[in-house]
Amino acid sequence: MSSPIPGSTLSQQLLLSVAEQLKLPLIQIARQAELAAVGMTADLTQICTLAENGLKLIDGYSLGLQLANLSNYELAPEAVSVASVLYEADEQLKALARLYNVELELNISGRYEPVLAHRQGLQAAIVGLASALIEALPAQASVTSQTMLQLATHRCRYGIVAGVYANLPSLSSEALRSGRRLYGRSRQPLVEISHTGGAGIFVADAIFKAMKLKLHVSRHHRLYGLGVVLQPSSQLALV
Amino acid sequence: MSHQTKRILLLEPDSVLAGSLTAGLINAGYDVQHVYSAQAAVSSADRLKPDLVFCELQLTAHSGIEFLYEFRSYSDWSVIPVVIYSSVPPVEFNASRNGLTYDLKISGYLYKPDTTLAEVIDWANKLT
Repeated sequence: MSSPIPGSTLSQQLLLSVAEQLKLPLIQIARQAELAAVGMTADLTQICTLAENGLKLIDGYSLGLQLANLSNYELAPEAVSVASVLYEADEQLKALARLYNVELELNISGRYEPVLAHRQGLQAAIVGLASALIEALPAQASVTSQTMLQLATHRCRYGIVAGVYANLPSLSSEALRSGRRLYGRSRQPLVEISHTGGAGIFVADAIFKAMKLKLHVSRHHRLYGLGVVLQPSSQLALV
Repeated sequence: MSHQTKRILLLEPDSVLAGSLTAGLINAGYDVQHVYSAQAAVSSADRLKPDLVFCELQLTAHSGIEFLYEFRSYSDWSVIPVVIYSSVPPVEFNASRNGLTYDLKISGYLYKPDTTLAEVIDWANKLT
């Protein structure tokens, strides 16, 4: 029998947050499908994208549970190219970004060495973060230009950062701290950032925690974002 | 008999959901102005002079309640019907229902997961 799931990592609050968040794609699908009932054409591509977005959130939550339940040995990180993870995430997010009219940019031009990480976990967390911001960005009153979200990697003094960035000045360390205290208890734990519960952000936070990493507020090229600092793989650096 | 298109102000932070609602209401014969935020709703109300407002309470930064207090503070807008169309569930909404109904003159409350597009259109037909 598997050992109990660490309550501090994937708590009942997170499950509540995910359950609440899943109402959104289900309502969106229901209303879109209903257009056919009032004599209009329902957009099946849109319905498909919304369903997949909901499924990704469930998958991210499940993966977080699994990772939190693994021993350090089982969680053994591998050498991972951040650029390839961000590229894959970008591919997964394109349809959702298009639906929300958010321009998705991939900034992986820097040549960085591989990092030590659990590849699937890192990718699921990035997708969760980006999905939450894509849903939130169009409603940002302060955003006047074309809404853009950047998936980027860059070097910082502590390692290599993988993150998602936007023109979102309200995304501060204090907002994230407050959100961590409130999620699962408040309907809008990140009230200055999102009208939703922002569950994707907290699922990513839990996945990173299970991977012994920490989600931070991060700045990159005058953009505000959420990212994680990863350690370069010293094994491959010798090659 | 001349028929003037009724104008609806839709305050909805989710662009995808707003798209479906807007399409359905336009198809039902309404002129719909969609806005994402409380600030934009005040500006749009001034320009649009709506016959009806659908309002979500859960918005980014300023809430729908803040918008409604601002909206009702202008005499021109004091009698325009407002329907709350929200993700806030009935048990939470009912806790402050009396205050909202009387102070802010709310005409109706619709819980998003329980409300079909046809019901939204019915409310629009009833109140305009």
